[in-house]
Amino acid sequence: MKRAALLVVGALAISLICLGISMAADPIKVGVVLPLTGEQAKFGEIEKNSFLMCLEEINKAGGIKGRPIELLIEDDTGKPDVGRSAVEKLISQDKVVVLSGGYSSSVTYAMCAVAQQRKIPFLVTTGSADKITEQGWDYVFRLNPPVSEYPQALESFMKEVAKTQSVAILHENTLFGQSGSKEFAALCETAGVKVLMKEGYEAGAVDFKPLLVKVKAAKPDMVYMISYIMDAALLMRQSKELEFNPKLFVGGGAGFTLPEFAKNAGDAADDVFSADLWSPKVPYPGAQEYFDNYGKKFGSPTEYHGAEAYASMQVLADVLKRAKDLTPAGVREAMLVTDMKTVFGPVKFIAYGKKKQQNQLPTYLVQWQKGTLETVWPKSVATKPYVYPILPWAEKKK
Amino acid sequence: MKRVYVPLALLIVLILFPLVVTDAYYQHLMILVLLWVAIGSGWNLISGYTGQVLFGAAAFFGVGAYTAALLLSKLDVSAWWGLPLGGLVAVLIAFPFGWICFRLRGPYFALATLALNEIFRHIATIWESLTEGMVGILVMQTFISKIPYYYIALALAAGSVIMIDVVTRSRLGYYFVSIREDQDAAESMGINTVYYKMISLCLSACVIGLAGALYTNYMGFIDPKVVFSLHDISIMAILVGIVGGVSTVYGPAMGAFIMVAIQEVFRSGGFGLLVKLGKATGWPVMATVTKYVSEAHVLSFGLLVIFVILYLPNGVVGDWSTLRKTLLFWKRETA
Repeated sequence: MKRAALLVVGALAISLICLGISMAADPIKVGVVLPLTGEQAKFGEIEKNSFLMCLEEINKAGGIKGRPIELLIEDDTGKPDVGRSAVEKLISQDKVVVLSGGYSSSVTYAMCAVAQQRKIPFLVTTGSADKITEQGWDYVFRLNPPVSEYPQALESFMKEVAKTQSVAILHENTLFGQSGSKEFAALCETAGVKVLMKEGYEAGAVDFKPLLVKVKAAKPDMVYMISYIMDAALLMRQSKELEFNPKLFVGGGAGFTLPEFAKNAGDAADDVFSADLWSPKVPYPGAQEYFDNYGKKFGSPTEYHGAEAYASMQVLADVLKRAKDLTPAGVREAMLVTDMKTVFGPVKFIAYGKKKQQNQLPTYLVQWQKGTLETVWPKSVATKPYVYPILPWAEKKK
Repeated sequence: MKRVYVPLALLIVLILFPLVVTDAYYQHLMILVLLWVAIGSGWNLISGYTGQVLFGAAAFFGVGAYTAALLLSKLDVSAWWGLPLGGLVAVLIAFPFGWICFRLRGPYFALATLALNEIFRHIATIWESLTEGMVGILVMQTFISKIPYYYIALALAAGSVIMIDVVTRSRLGYYFVSIREDQDAAESMGINTVYYKMISLCLSACVIGLAGALYTNYMGFIDPKVVFSLHDISIMAILVGIVGGVSTVYGPAMGAFIMVAIQEVFRSGGFGLLVKLGKATGWPVMATVTKYVSEAHVLSFGLLVIFVILYLPNGVVGDWSTLRKTLLFWKRETA
């Protein structure tokens, strides 16, 4: 008897809880899928924090026509099949009107395919493989530029300032490294710059000296490296040890722009250039504030991935505000005519080349000068003049 | 008779499943389960029945997946042809590998399969002109609905379970078990151990390769890190086998279901239940709990394996009678 009574009470409690949920103010549901565990968790965390930071500001300002936005953040664990599970769940169970997120390209691709099939708009935050917006999918929008466009600013710098004749390309064997290096090699060839060597290494390697000795012997004007944090720092430290002095060291974004790079590489980081998509000093409204607020709130600096996430949330809020009706089709209509400024730059989804509904952004060249990252190219947005040619290691020591 | 009726009833339930449960999310999860049933069964044949522990299931899985993807991207042949061919190519890889490595026994063979896994991952990563390297290969999905994929996966899963059942009850199966129990004794009885180990490996590779090709068709995107993954494919295959029950016919099926369910329950925080509870009660503790639970799925795999090895060394299916007795006993006591 006692047990039966307990059961009844329990059932009542659960149904009351359910009732409470459905009676609360009716938020607009938005699904976000990010890698919160696994190898990419570090970046997933930055993006998640940025999404939530922007969400808080939007909801504090009254939300969308009085309704708050609710973010349903799911973990893709860095695996395509899990990412797909997450999207299926968000669409069929949570009934979200729009999806966002997507860090690694393989996961992003698998998720976008589902979104397209189920006709739910997907705003890609980071997944950068060119192919994602080349499928003719009309429900997939991408905020960040594709990986092939990362070194645009570098190209003009090489042509106008450095007059580079030959390059050596080193890259980690990941999607980012392989496709980035391939695009850069093609870009050099059309510009008449000789590619002396192009070598990949296993991500996470520690001894680069055999590789660097080979590069040194080839005597390139410039070394272009696509690496993450630890390998980026090690490449520079070991170049210094080997007294390897090309005219230019350039990183292809990623590891070379993070604060940890300067910390790990020490003075070997000085004068190193890098392609970059964003820095707090870019001339976009709110960029510096976002950077400062993030640092204050989470106690660690943010970088371009975080800015992408923050901007994604800004775009989503803008789109939801403009949407005539809050259905996936209505949101898609509104997203098509997006034309706004975010912390990550102006956002407009256009078709060019093989791509569709892709946002185009200028890229930058940054340089480490005395431990701080300065934007040096294009000149119109430069925070400091560039240092070129860079001094050989031996002279720097003095 | 029970031997036939229970699986038959299960099969009918599985056939009816997508017609009853139309939610695409659950259909997707079931497709993953069925895929893992096939991979787990393949692993079980060579590792469970024949005793040659395979640490490199991903080598065959990835080769099958790449066969299907390359057919489309290089030869413009439908990736569906990759389904039979994926199995075949996996066998073609298994054959020379077995030829060389069946000289090795026990842990040495296991390490060789691990190496095979890594070799193929590196080849797929570095040979960019063929495989596109880490950029990966895209295949457009043929069907929007999940139902065709579901039935193909079901056919593959059921086929591999039936294959195991038939093989292990045949003369072949007894040879396999005798090799596992004592290879030297089997040899002295006149069993050509290399020959039969080879048959076992090729059958396993075929099933796993088929699963890989189906993965390509279903997921639509592969890259070396995904399909040659040591952690997500090779180790997962072993976990599916161990949790379900090594050298039991239905073990991998049970293991696949448990592993996919656990991963999903943890990832989604008990299918979103924890989040709802947190909201309803308003306790900030719930948010922290949810966060840790959803980050703990890897840990949960580890704990599960420790639990299974300690208390159910033959897996859930292998120790079913013990498990049932314990549960019944527990029930009687609480009632």
